[in-house]
Amino acid sequence: MSERYSSFDRKGQRWLWQRITAAFLVVVLAFHFFLLHFVNHAAEVTFAASSARMSQWTYYSLMVLFLITATFHGVNGVYNALLNQGLSGRRRQAVKWTLVVASALLIVRGVQTANAWAGVSLF
Amino acid sequence: MSQSYERGLVEDFGRWREFSAGMWAWVFHKFTGWVLVGYLFTHIAVLSTATQSPEAYTSTIQTLEGLLAVRLLEIGLLAVAVFHILNGLRLLLVDLGVGLEAQDKAFYASIGLTGAIVVGSVPTFLAGVF
Repeated sequence: MSERYSSFDRKGQRWLWQRITAAFLVVVLAFHFFLLHFVNHAAEVTFAASSARMSQWTYYSLMVLFLITATFHGVNGVYNALLNQGLSGRRRQAVKWTLVVASALLIVRGVQTANAWAGVSLF
Repeated sequence: MSQSYERGLVEDFGRWREFSAGMWAWVFHKFTGWVLVGYLFTHIAVLSTATQSPEAYTSTIQTLEGLLAVRLLEIGLLAVAVFHILNGLRLLLVDLGVGLEAQDKAFYASIGLTGAIVVGSVPTFLAGVF
């Protein structure tokens, strides 16, 4: 057998969801970079242009799903990296809940921003 | 059947001189992952100026994009993102047991392709900043 190394517990849900979100993010991150740096140029960004994109419900939902999956994938990756470095006990619980709260705040702030562009005034 | 090697823990960074291709891939994937998650928080913070006013958002983005340092950081971000995507594809294949024998070559291909894409993108990322 060749060497196969993974830092994740392969029986765990976190391992599976890290792979599922990865498969989605590979495509959407590449699309995001291509659209906003090659098709449109970041230097020419205006509120009106962002608003025009975000007013399409397909783009809005894709970007909100992108935000949620990227947050999960990034924060879950950080958490697992810290577990591999030996984080345990009360510190593990403290780090876990800090990351959960930070993720929730990031997603809320991201959705508020998307809503500002889309002209939605939910919250 | 290929030979198996006892390489020890990759988390023991002090052994970096002994690292094989797969271990370097692990280290680079962690590093680029940390950069990307850090950038995600920064990105949303900058974009959220859109919640203040349209003018605040447009002027914030255009001021930042006028800085050479920001453009260079964006090229760095592209390098980090492209490597993480390509090596991520390699990891998904490794997890599925596809092409295990070529995982080291796949790592070198990820590095090479990242370099080519980044170099080819430099003119686009620097357009209009000088």
